Amino acid sequence: MSDATTNRPMSERLEPYLAIIGPLVMILAVLLFMAVAEPARYFRATNLNLILLDAALYMPMAMAMTFVITQRGIDLSIGSIAALSSILMAFLIKQYGFSVYIAVPIAIMLGALMGLINGLIITRFNVPDLIGTLAMDLVYRGFALVIAKGLVLARFPDFLTEIGRGQIPSFIPIPVIIGIATMIAGYVLLTRSYFGRYTIAIGSNPEAAELTGISVNRHKVHAYVLCGACAALAGVMLTGKLNAIQATSAPYFNLHVIAAVVVGGTSLFGGRASMLGSFAGVLLLSMMINALVTLRIEFFWQSVASGVVIVSSVALYTWMQKKDRDGAGGWLAALTTPDGQKMFRFSAALLGVLIALLAVGALLAGDPNPSG
Amino acid sequence: MADMPLVQMRGITKRFGGVTALQDVDLEAHAGEVLAIVGDNGAGKSTLIKILTGVYQPTEGEMFLDGEKISFSSHADAIERGIDAVYQTLALADHLDPAANMFLGNELTKSVAGITMLDNKRMRSETERVLMERLGVKLKSLDAPTESLSGGQRQAVAIARAVYHEGLRVLVMDEPTAALGPQETARTLKLIQTLKEQGLAVILISHSLDDVFEVSDRIHVQRRGQRVGVVKTSESNTQEVLGLIVGAEEAA
Repeated sequence: MSDATTNRPMSERLEPYLAIIGPLVMILAVLLFMAVAEPARYFRATNLNLILLDAALYMPMAMAMTFVITQRGIDLSIGSIAALSSILMAFLIKQYGFSVYIAVPIAIMLGALMGLINGLIITRFNVPDLIGTLAMDLVYRGFALVIAKGLVLARFPDFLTEIGRGQIPSFIPIPVIIGIATMIAGYVLLTRSYFGRYTIAIGSNPEAAELTGISVNRHKVHAYVLCGACAALAGVMLTGKLNAIQATSAPYFNLHVIAAVVVGGTSLFGGRASMLGSFAGVLLLSMMINALVTLRIEFFWQSVASGVVIVSSVALYTWMQKKDRDGAGGWLAALTTPDGQKMFRFSAALLGVLIALLAVGALLAGDPNPSG
Repeated sequence: MADMPLVQMRGITKRFGGVTALQDVDLEAHAGEVLAIVGDNGAGKSTLIKILTGVYQPTEGEMFLDGEKISFSSHADAIERGIDAVYQTLALADHLDPAANMFLGNELTKSVAGITMLDNKRMRSETERVLMERLGVKLKSLDAPTESLSGGQRQAVAIARAVYHEGLRVLVMDEPTAALGPQETARTLKLIQTLKEQGLAVILISHSLDDVFEVSDRIHVQRRGQRVGVVKTSESNTQEVLGLIVGAEEAA
């Protein structure tokens, strides 16, 4: 039946691995750069341990988020779920004397419950994923603040700190084992289970999934429950790592995790999932942030760097995926099209106005009056 | 051809609110025959087959399969009884490979240490077997996502999904050639011929009278929600059928 695909070009044979190539190239770039800039401190065993410890925190969430995003969803509430469930766990342990061995599973179940609420809001009330989870993010964060006020709950039993920063002697930290275990479980789930198969089908073609008798809504809810439970697990790991928790903890979880998943080649448009890519994405972000710290760059640059990495890797990915590169004629060719010129003039005008305003402001400037 | 139709719809009426989509329509299809349904847009072709495949329920009328009265409350019911459809959109998840698509919603599993897991290997070999044995189609690669296949190959995967069900007796095909080039169309028509020879009743909805005359045994003409005629393909011509479709002449 086929006569067109006898000699497939290189690009086509590479296609299944595209997802993993992007983050791998970036990881290599970071490694090369650090090998030149700061090899002694970056490649120390203790530092590599630190990178893994940081990455481990995000692995469970990246795993779950891969499912959510593959189903064309998004979960913006994981940071708050992590904070709220670990605050509740902390209160159970500190205030009500719960055993830590029970409190930790309770925290994870609470996370699952919050995920269930997210899922039901999205599927039953037809609130779009983005809005629904964004709103619930506010709700969960608000509850955390209401319950904990400004309190910092600290000094937890050993079991918790073992989860967060324990180390198997002369091996890797316990949280890394937990993180990698969740990623492996996620991989098996994605490739070998009904849930994983239907996740891809739903993201790829929701109507077709519905027609073949797949319960789309139920599997969506499952994905959000998984995401909530994994966020709570991450919250538990964070609490253990810091041996402290407060209502404002974990503020950057959402975007960090989504960034890792998207950088790893899982498509925001659904249907294309890469668990290996998510793993690489998590590692990449942790390596990069660690590199910034090692280079003694101010902490506040981290968010700039994260954003740049996300945009460039997604752009790189779409470019690699583009089948037809003929006739594009290089980067500047777009400037010669009428539409390109309009865009160019528009951008130039914006910049011009800004420069003019700055110039006027500078001309009319009086003495500075510091607000402090 | 047997006297007893394999599937029979009698006096089917379907109203959507105040709109009557179908008015007292009869339909018979025999095993080992291709029945084409033609008609203008809005003539009720799609509604008719959606009732047959259990997607819609008729307002009035009854259906028989092999002389036995049937009624479906869902599409799954119809599949259970051996009536399935291949939609124009094919209902394929393009990111999954052909095997995953063929078994979508009906996966083969194995038990690994007491845990039920998908048996990807067996689904692949079964896909290869069904495509080859039932449809005579061999795909170059079963690993590539379905989106990389040609239109005809995608069609073959969608048909294979329907025929994999051993009890399949009636296959409805909605505009199978609408998006295909001449070569792919010829292949799809050959597929239909193959299915017919295997004793299925194939109901083909098409706008292309060329295809209809090439492959069908009888032609059922719908106009404005009513059956305006059934003609034997061998005893008719495009002119007559066109006349029926637009209402220039009435036939029994």
